[in-house]
Amino acid sequence: MRTMLEARNVHKKIALDEDNVLHILRDVDLRIGEGEFVSVMGPSGSGKSTLLYTVSGMDRITSGSVRFMDQEIGSLKEEALSKLRLEHMGFIFQDINLLKNLSLIDNIMFPALLEKHVDKKAVHDKAKRLMEMTGIATLADNSITQASGGQLQRAGICRALINEPAMIFGDEPTGALDSKSAAEIMTILAEINSQGTTVMLVTHDMKVAAKTQRVLYMVDGCIIAQKHLGPYVESSDTLVDREQELMNWLVTNGF
Amino acid sequence: MFLKIVMNDVRRKKIITATVLVFIAMAVVLGSSATNIIANLMQSIAQLKTHAVPSDLTQMHIGSYDQGAVDALVAALGEHIAEQETMYLLNIEGSDIHFGANRTMVDTVQDISFVVQNQKFDFILDLDNRKLDIQAGEVAVPIYFMKTYGLSLGDVLRIESRGFRKEFVISEYARDFEMNSALASSKRFVINQADYDEMLEHQVGEMEYLIEFKLHEHGDLRTVRNAYREAGLPSNGPTIEGRLFSLFNALSDAAVVMVIVLISLLLVVVASLCIRLTFLATIDEDLREIGVMKAMGISKKDIRNVYLTKYKVVATIAGVLGYALSFLVVRAFNGNMRLYLSSDLSGSLQYVLSLFAPVAIYLIVVLYCRSVLGRIDGISATEALRSDIMQRGKHRKYRFPLLKNRFLDTSIYMGLRDVATRIKLYRLLFFIFIVCTFIAILPLNVFNTMNSPKFSTYMGIGQCDVRIDLRKTDTITADFERLLAELENDSDIEKHAAYITCSYPAMTADGRWDYILIETGDFSVFPLQYLEGTAPAEAGEISLSFAQASADGLDKKVGDTVVVQVGGVEKQLKVSGIYQDITNGGKTAKAGASLGLQHDAILWYMVNLDIALHADVSAKMAHYQSTYASAQVNGIKEYARQTMGNIIRQMGAIVIGGLAIAIVVMVLITALFLKMLLSKDMSQIAIMRSIGLSAKQIEHQYLAGTMAVLLPGIILGILAADYLGEILVSMAMSSMGAASIRFVGIAWQTWLVYPLLIIVVVGITLSLSCKIAVAEDLSVVLRS
Ligand SMILES: Nc1ncnc2c1ncn2[C@@H]1O[C@H](COP(=O)(O)OP(=O)(O)O)[C@@H](O)[C@H]1O
Ligand SMILES: [Mg+2]
Repeated sequence: MRTMLEARNVHKKIALDEDNVLHILRDVDLRIGEGEFVSVMGPSGSGKSTLLYTVSGMDRITSGSVRFMDQEIGSLKEEALSKLRLEHMGFIFQDINLLKNLSLIDNIMFPALLEKHVDKKAVHDKAKRLMEMTGIATLADNSITQASGGQLQRAGICRALINEPAMIFGDEPTGALDSKSAAEIMTILAEINSQGTTVMLVTHDMKVAAKTQRVLYMVDGCIIAQKHLGPYVESSDTLVDREQELMNWLVTNGF
Repeated sequence: MFLKIVMNDVRRKKIITATVLVFIAMAVVLGSSATNIIANLMQSIAQLKTHAVPSDLTQMHIGSYDQGAVDALVAALGEHIAEQETMYLLNIEGSDIHFGANRTMVDTVQDISFVVQNQKFDFILDLDNRKLDIQAGEVAVPIYFMKTYGLSLGDVLRIESRGFRKEFVISEYARDFEMNSALASSKRFVINQADYDEMLEHQVGEMEYLIEFKLHEHGDLRTVRNAYREAGLPSNGPTIEGRLFSLFNALSDAAVVMVIVLISLLLVVVASLCIRLTFLATIDEDLREIGVMKAMGISKKDIRNVYLTKYKVVATIAGVLGYALSFLVVRAFNGNMRLYLSSDLSGSLQYVLSLFAPVAIYLIVVLYCRSVLGRIDGISATEALRSDIMQRGKHRKYRFPLLKNRFLDTSIYMGLRDVATRIKLYRLLFFIFIVCTFIAILPLNVFNTMNSPKFSTYMGIGQCDVRIDLRKTDTITADFERLLAELENDSDIEKHAAYITCSYPAMTADGRWDYILIETGDFSVFPLQYLEGTAPAEAGEISLSFAQASADGLDKKVGDTVVVQVGGVEKQLKVSGIYQDITNGGKTAKAGASLGLQHDAILWYMVNLDIALHADVSAKMAHYQSTYASAQVNGIKEYARQTMGNIIRQMGAIVIGGLAIAIVVMVLITALFLKMLLSKDMSQIAIMRSIGLSAKQIEHQYLAGTMAVLLPGIILGILAADYLGEILVSMAMSSMGAASIRFVGIAWQTWLVYPLLIIVVVGITLSLSCKIAVAEDLSVVLRS
């Protein structure tokens, strides 16, 4: 399996004032292979989000090394890093983060339209297809005030997918949704993953984590353990087993 | 606690607060200086007038003169005429006046006369507004000449004429209410009676009479003028009414003052737009704060006070600053006025009057704050905490979908969309760009108009190279014919036209006969700029000067009929047009040669000519000057330069000032606007960056948006300055008794240099202030 993302000895410190430095990530090592579906769990404040932001290049690391698709992220200039994000990464946030002046479909198409000489028709078709796949095709021209949280999150996923990224990062994408919506979102993500896209999710929901292939457990800025659950095949029996297995493992790690 | 909140607010919005302060201060500086300058101008003209006691009616005359006949008229018109005095001018050629190292005054277009101070009225004053009393061997030199030739007190003037030689020491500046202005065509040097008699004895110079009348308060000018004509009293020269002198004095300073007043008014507009902009851009954040304050239980009244206090403090500081600075501006501008009008401008009135601007501006600011705060009152705490005032209210139809964009780069399209969706905000910036452009272009238009060769035609002088005036002498008719014959055969003369001015009786609106000056000749050779209608082209047509056509002249419009007596025969003439004229007292008329001459009332002859391209203009002028003793040869360009030079120079300073103000305002506002926009849009920017837009792409959005209002702003501003400005300037001119004017714009300056300059300057400002910070972690904004 080829390496998609590799982090070594990553530290993240934030100077709060002259005397106090917050040490959020402490010597994190991480390797995610192409096509993997990985989730990160851990208590609140343990640094899960920070890990996601740093390995995706949105935040700068204090020391260490992060390689994404064989490129050292730390050495990239702002413009190149942006381009890398635009073309090869997709993000899904807990609070969605759609642009408020654009309709849903424009929000989805926007990243694709930034490329020079794009075929606008093709982009539109692709956005339509993604919206059909996520079940929000009828809302294309709605403004973001005219859709529910679950619908907005689906639009967020469509936007993350529009440029066919190699990897998708999600920071508690189901955190603000009811369990039914959360389950549907996970189905979509699993589907995307099955088509070859690497996925890394931060979550505190065991039901969500149970559907991923590998779970990392973070405490105090360190990844202290990981659990291979193996590929998940849709069926309620296996899901209950996986949840139980995960639960036992988490408890042994002090959950 | 209360003050702490205010101070915190100021500290947090340092840039915005500072900019608002600068704007208000700037508006106050200009408003204050303008009121101050106007007050000074009016006060000093009034003072000068009180001391100088100018005449109400002046008849200039060259030739034989009989004081007895004038005295008889005065006796007969005792109910109208208070005093009469005749001033005896000794006209000296500029070439006969030597000074410094071998210099003479030969190049002046002004007529120079040496006079003795009057006894009864029309006094010539010193710089302290005291009547000049000149000792033997001394001379008081008009301020105009002191400045033009760089003379100082103690310098020596030497008169050399026909073997006579006399030296005078300059002992005083001569401040002359009637002839101070460069627009008045002659200047009076004051000397002692003994020196005057000595020069007269040696037949130095040419004698001219100023037959001056001072009327009673209720004396009727027209009655005196007509009685004078009908009595056949000496009238070989123009008749000048008293108020022309005031007009000349005002024109020299008032034009400049009016432009300053206009600029300051516009800056007040910009300042209030700027305050509105600040409110609009910060209102969301303010609302959230107000929400927090409301949630904390702070009363509505206290919340209002926090905001009002902040702007009151800012407006007060700015007002005091601007008030103080305005006196510096006034000092700089008054330099000229102090010399020509009055040296004593002190007095508390100016300090009081200058207070008007800061007080007015303070009130505007406070009123504006109140009206904005009024809106905030209606919002509940929770509403305030989440609403976005720009998007509040009506659900609009979704406009400008991304797919509509066919040709533009997506970043640029997003910028333009932003303008359309937040039109309220960008509209203000747009207005500010228009007003600033207006501020820069209007003075430029006025300056270019004054500077253009055409402008002389607004003063009643045909657009030609050279003008030759023949003064009335015994040989004038023969000289005139000889001159015309020579011009006809001179291959260096491209074209020429002769004009003869006579005095004709004409029927006034109330059915009486009044004498008017009519110039006859061919007016198609050197056309004047007509305000209305055209020059008289056919027999039976006449054109009138603006003053002659107005209510206190003949009171006629284009198309009306004027009845004129020519050689005792009444002729009906149709008014073909109206033109502007400040020469010869301003009341003139023009008609074709077919009108016929009034042979016993010929006043002067004039020839306009254009010199061929290959010929040497100054040599030609010198030739005609020396060949015809009674001729006065003037180059029109030089004439315009000398008469208009001073005011054009002042206007030039205002052009620079206006441009500087416009640029400073635009740069400040643009920088401020972007800073506000970027901080307002912080979260949207973070989202775009997380998607993968580079800082540069986001900058391009804002650049495109601002440029999209800048470019049309510049265009509209220029159009406004061209058309609206012309109307405004014309209104101002006619309020002073002059007539409306047409701007002579210089297209490459207004449509090329100015826009390029502004685009470059604002563009640089934009790209400097439109920096998306990339050093900070994206998550900081995204998570908050
Ligand atoms: N920019 C920041 N400034 C100060 N503290 C921060 C910042 N970013 C994160 N933290 C702190 O770092 C710790 C880890 O945060 P985060 O990565 O969001 O944890 P998690 O996602 O696991 O809840 C938390 O205690 C948080 O308060
Ligand atoms: Mg988190």
